[in-house]
Formats: sequence, structure tokens, C-alpha cells
Amino acid sequence: MTRSAWWRRFSVRGVFWRQLLRFAILHVPPWIEPIVMAFWSAFFLLWGPGRRGVMRNLKVIKPGSFGIANFFRCYRVFWNYAWTIADNVRFKELRTIPDWEFAGLDHFQAMQASNGAILLTAHMGSYDLGAHLFSETSTRRIVMVRAPEEDLETREFEEHHGAEGLRIEFNTRATELALDLLETVREGAIVAIQGDRVMGSISTLPATLFGKAATVPAGPFALAMAARVPIYPVFVVRIGRRRYRLVTSRPIEITRSRNRDDDFARAVAQWMTELEDVVRNCWFQWFTFEPYWPEAAS
Amino acid sequence: MNVIADKPEAHWLPSRHRFALSRLIAYAKLRRARAIANNAEHLILPIDRDQTAAEMNGVALWVFFTTVCYIAAVLPLILPAAIVAAIPLAAIALQFPIVGIGPIVRMLLGDGDHIKIISVITMALLVIASSYFAVSSSWPRYVAWFFFAVLVVNGAAALVVWLLRNGIREAEDRCAR
Repeated sequence: MTRSAWWRRFSVRGVFWRQLLRFAILHVPPWIEPIVMAFWSAFFLLWGPGRRGVMRNLKVIKPGSFGIANFFRCYRVFWNYAWTIADNVRFKELRTIPDWEFAGLDHFQAMQASNGAILLTAHMGSYDLGAHLFSETSTRRIVMVRAPEEDLETREFEEHHGAEGLRIEFNTRATELALDLLETVREGAIVAIQGDRVMGSISTLPATLFGKAATVPAGPFALAMAARVPIYPVFVVRIGRRRYRLVTSRPIEITRSRNRDDDFARAVAQWMTELEDVVRNCWFQWFTFEPYWPEAAS
Repeated sequence: MNVIADKPEAHWLPSRHRFALSRLIAYAKLRRARAIANNAEHLILPIDRDQTAAEMNGVALWVFFTTVCYIAAVLPLILPAAIVAAIPLAAIALQFPIVGIGPIVRMLLGDGDHIKIISVITMALLVIASSYFAVSSSWPRYVAWFFFAVLVVNGAAALVVWLLRNGIREAEDRCAR
């Protein structure tokens, strides 16, 4: 990766916006914050590819919906995203935590008590904030796997301003990372992975979401099978200003049989059911800015 | 940061509110609150002064509405057009103290949390603008009077909160127990 041209820092994934957000968190009075959020959420509607990506996905999630309605829904997605990333930075910089509600507490506690588990989640609510909360409150070690920032400066910025006590692995060095994670899970740690969309050249499994063909990362399922640990679908859903609900669903057990593809297909189907349910109810915080389905892209 | 677990009535802790009027209302609610049914299986409520959505959104709307009126009054347009134009301008104007003064404060005091300073400066600018409009004969004087009325009521609430400080502390301790 080479250092990018100076103007790239102002591109939508550039480091400028991360710096601006951090500056805002440290300077914006909370009683002006809603106005600032509303303004910047509207400003980012100018980001054409992101706006179109969200609107195309909404078209599939809400069949028969009108473009104009999806435009306003798109604003709601951006608004929720703005609050979510702001809450995340606020936690990192000021250690301010939001209100937390738990749903599926039994499953959550079982995950905490298990001897190694995969925490499978989606690009919604605050994945980062949830992981940070785990790292602070859980006795289990948590390792977070995520796609690296595309922009080098942004990546450096994020690494510099990361929360303490949380190990983050980037899914770029596939084989090496798989072995690393396998060992980590076997040692009893929880590995948190976003399993709703495929980024970069990683191995995938076929899936169906909202009745349309899609793909999901194969990594979490392969890891669960190899380590013989359950997968816990966990969603961090924003339910209001500085309020989140942590929803833990029943675990996905991958049983080994002679037909590996069938084993994976069963697990993926269960995951997609959970994901579809959450996305249907909380479409306004599914932060997928690229067209998710190939047909939506076209 | 302190947190309270599995006590929904802790939503009404005065310590979770910023402004005196809001703290007073919260105290009244907390006194009346008996064991509220906990809908969540597990609840974690941090004690942070800026945690309450209704309070912060309410103040944000009030400040925004006030700024829209002041800007609309100085725009050389007919009133409906001026109000429409003033909406985005007010959203931008409210960020001037942050982007204009924020970097200076940062330069002088170093990197860190400067929310309190920016808060005071922004409120001071609103008070100056309101003073200007309050003594004018144009229609925003009513908005300015309302602005000062809210400040006076909040000031009075601050006095009451101070007088009730022991009772508030006891009610909070009871809730946290």
C-alpha cells in the first residue's frame, strides 16, 4: 500500500472525516449535537455511491417501495450511522458509555461461560462499541476480526486511536489469521466477526437473504467447525440517543457429518434467518453502503 | 464512570440530567417512581449528565428554533422565504463557535475535551444575540423574551435544586442501593 495523494484524505473514506469526528466529539456541546448530526447526515447524502447503495438495498428489503421514500429512509440510515460512529468515538476518547439493554441474556451468559465461541454479527448498530463493552466487562478475551480501512492514513489513525484491551485482527492475511484464530478460540477466547457481507477476496458460502442469492464469509463457519465451538449471533442495535440493545440469539451449532457442504448450508441458513429478522426490523441501521445483492448492483 | 444495573427508575436520577430544570423534573419523577417493570432482561444505566435524550433534544430544538428566528429576522426576504432559508443557515451558524473557536482553544490548551468551554461560549453568543433582539421592536423580540424566560426559570430551578440537594442525594442513594 502506498501513501495516498493529499486530496484523498478528503474522500469519503479519507482520514479527514475521522479527524473531524474526533474533533467534534471533543468540542460539540451535547445540547447542539442533534443539530450537528442532522446537518452532517444531510451533507453525506451528497455521497452518491453510498446513497445509491443504501437505496438499492432498501428496495430489496422493502419490496415495492418508492424511490422517494427510500431517499428519506436513506437519510435515516445515515443519521443512525452518524450517531453510532459518534458514540463509538465518544467511548474511545471520553469513556462515555451508553445505556445498555440486553435481550437473549441466557444466550449471552452461555457465550461468556463457554470455553471459546464465535460471536457473529452484522454491520449494524455499533459493532465496535459492543466489542469494546465486551472487552471491558467480560472475563473472556475477545478478538475482533474486521476488514482493514482502505485508506492507509485512516487505518493508521484508527490504530492510533483504538481502545485499550481489545485485540483487532484484520482479515487480509487469510491463512495465517485462520490458524491464529483457531488457536485463540481453542484457548477459550471469543472471536467477533462480521458475517453479513463479503469484503475483499475472502472465501465465501452461498446464502439467501430476503429471497435473493447472496454470499457470506466462510471464515466464521469454518472456524466454528474446526474449533468445535458454537456461533452466537449477536446484534448491537441502537434504540435511541446513547441507548443500545444487545440482542443475542440462540447459538448455531455446526455438527459435522459426511457432507461438509450440508453442514455449512444448515448453519448459514440459520444465520441468514437471524440476520433477515434483524435487518427487516432495523433496516435503518444496516450500514451496508454498497449494493448487497448482485442484482441490486446492476 | 458509575453505572446502575437493573433499576429502570434510575432513568430519572437527577445526576443523569444536565440542566437544573431538567434535574428538578427528574427528581420529582424519581420520588414518584416505585419499582418500574424492567422490560429488558438486563439493564445498564451509566450516570452521566448528558445521558437523557428528551432533555438534550429539547434544548437542541429550542436553541435551533431561536437561531432560525434571529437569522430569518435579518434576511432581506419575505418572512416565509426567510424562515425556509434560515433553517440550513441556522444549522451552519450554530457550528461556527465549534469550528471557529474550537481550534483556538485547542491550540491554547492542547488536545482534549473542550466541550465545557465551547458550551459557555456558544451560550454566551446566544445571550448576546437574544439581548440584541429583546430590545428591538421586530417580531423576534418575543423569541428573545422566551429565551430569557427559559434562562430565568432554569436559574430558579437551580436555586431549588441547591436547596433540595440533601433530599436529592438521599433519593439517588436509595435508587442506587
